[in-house]
Amino acid sequence: MQNRTRNIYLIPYALWIVLFVVAPILLILYYSFFDIDGHFGLVNYEKFFTPVYFKMALSSFWYAFLITAICLVISYPTAYLLTKTKHKQLWLLLIILPTWINLLLKAYAFLGIFGTYGFANAVLGLFGIGPKQILFTDFSFLFVSVYIFIPFMILPIFNALEELNPSLTDASRDLGASPWTTFRRVIFPLTIDGVKSGCQAVFIPALSLFMLTRLIAGNRVITLGTAIEEHFLVTQDWGMGSTVAVFLILIMALIMIVTGIRR
Amino acid sequence: MLAEQAIIRFENVTKQYDEDPPVLDDVSFEIERGKFYTLLGPSGCGKTTILRLIAGLTEPTKGNIYFNGKLVNHVPANERQVNTVFQDYALFPHLDVYENVAFGLRVKKMKKADIDAKVKEALRFVNLEGYESRKIQEMSGGQKQRVAIARAIVNEPEVLLLDEPLSALDLKLRTEMQYELRELQRRLGITFIFVTHDQEEALAMSDEIFVLNKGKIQQRGTPTDIYDEPINRFVADFIGESNIIPGKMIKDFLVEFNGKVFECVDQGFHPNEPVEIVIRPEDLEITEPDKGKLRVRVDSQLFRGVHYEICCYDEDGNEWLVHSTKKAAVGEEIGLHFDPEAIHVMRLGETEEEFDKRLESYREVSHAK
Ligand SMILES: Nc1ncnc2c1ncn2[C@@H]1O[C@H](COP(=O)(O)OP(=O)(O)OP(=O)(O)O)[C@@H](O)[C@H]1O
Ligand SMILES: [Mg+2]
Repeated sequence: MQNRTRNIYLIPYALWIVLFVVAPILLILYYSFFDIDGHFGLVNYEKFFTPVYFKMALSSFWYAFLITAICLVISYPTAYLLTKTKHKQLWLLLIILPTWINLLLKAYAFLGIFGTYGFANAVLGLFGIGPKQILFTDFSFLFVSVYIFIPFMILPIFNALEELNPSLTDASRDLGASPWTTFRRVIFPLTIDGVKSGCQAVFIPALSLFMLTRLIAGNRVITLGTAIEEHFLVTQDWGMGSTVAVFLILIMALIMIVTGIRR
Repeated sequence: MLAEQAIIRFENVTKQYDEDPPVLDDVSFEIERGKFYTLLGPSGCGKTTILRLIAGLTEPTKGNIYFNGKLVNHVPANERQVNTVFQDYALFPHLDVYENVAFGLRVKKMKKADIDAKVKEALRFVNLEGYESRKIQEMSGGQKQRVAIARAIVNEPEVLLLDEPLSALDLKLRTEMQYELRELQRRLGITFIFVTHDQEEALAMSDEIFVLNKGKIQQRGTPTDIYDEPINRFVADFIGESNIIPGKMIKDFLVEFNGKVFECVDQGFHPNEPVEIVIRPEDLEITEPDKGKLRVRVDSQLFRGVHYEICCYDEDGNEWLVHSTKKAAVGEEIGLHFDPEAIHVMRLGETEEEFDKRLESYREVSHAK
């Protein structure tokens, strides 16, 4: 009886999952077997293993890795400082706030800031450095991506640090460990789960970034996300786009499994 | 001479958090090398705070702390020759039992073989052989406590701080560990500072006891000193059970309470000074109603294993607690007998220094005699 009522509550959720998660994935899988002329076969999969797509995948990985690494290096110390400050909830709110603003809006804002006549160049001008090309470079792409993803890295690390029992660091110091050794042997290993979820939350979406690649990087950075967008919207090769998407989903699942292993 | 022996010295140390009343209020004391000290006091009186100050995990708001004669107020914890058994154990959940115990040795970059030998020995000491590869989460509370003890003693510090290290153990294991800790302390010759709120444990183990209340040291001394000559009502009440009755000191060696005058061994009071009398329950002896010094009626009786705990009331309504191996009948009148030595007279509101000075002065008098 109880079980049945519980099952009834699950129906909306199950419907949602089937309609918006399972069905699209199946559709993508289905489309991936048709080439541009509508013939059924494995042509798209063969094409994916050619150097063009391989390079694209590599570059996706490389940029996602860079973005994740930079986010981590900035976020860990920030989260640590945050746990030590007085008004941590307020500071945390300030860090989360930008995530409530639409991604596109933020991208356009950076177009203005990094543009030839934008704020960044104005500041550079003050130091006598002439207008520079900031937009459409690796730098601007990484900068904006990191800016967008950083809250997703800080939050889980902050939570992990907050959960850490402070008497463990006391114990470590008491046993003769310097602050650095304490960090290496106690604090970091005990917050590794937070780091993992942070990396997941940054790496996976970074892998499929596409808006920013065009707006901020001016299509200099081609990722798998960009490729999918191109195939669906520009070349109308839905089959190939779906194939890339299938691989992207596989890679994401793989990353989830690898980083998700908990003790 | 004495200053040389002191391994730790607190000089007017005050510890205060924010605007709250101080947790420790102008505390001064010396810890001598190689002795077993116990900090005893009710919850929240500042015992853990004293240990944290010694360990270097927190700094005093005012005052100075000396270690081996050197000022250590700002010396970080990892540079002090002190190890702590934490009240909440603070074992590392990501390491197994072996690695927890080995932590301090690894930090010191000791050789693998030496670490192995020392860890094994420490685990043997706490009766946890064979638990090396257990996860901390898989240990019971008492086992965790013993891992915490092993993790601290394996470093052979100059001073070992133990924050209620036996509280989670059953009576048998606790008694055993009390005995073994005391034995270990004698063998290693290191200074132990032991925190407990169990007065029996304090009396059984210590060379010296500090009784604390509300951030102040109420009294310090050997277990017998503190038990036999409590300085005030708080100490008398906290250490063992006692009968505390208001009275009046007629003159030296004569005290009045319950409307009668009794011989006693205390002196150095003003004539007719109001005082408080302490008589320990085990110093009261049950006799025939008219043969005792006091006449009381038995109100209730509890069997405590070794003795009966008998609660009686006298005509004035004062409660008298008696520990006796003999049974009494509830509702009956009995007599209570006690020796003059059983009476301990306490001056109202006397500080520790004044108390010591008074004892000193009449010890001199009795020597002169
Ligand atoms: N970090 C802190 N901030 C504010 N107050 C604190 C802090 N640490 C301890 N206190 C206060 O200091 C007082 C003494 O604490 P302490 O831990 O020394 O007590 P204790 O004697 O060890 O008690 P227990 O027997 O319960 O362990 C308590 O009133 C406690 O609330
Ligand atoms: Mg405590």
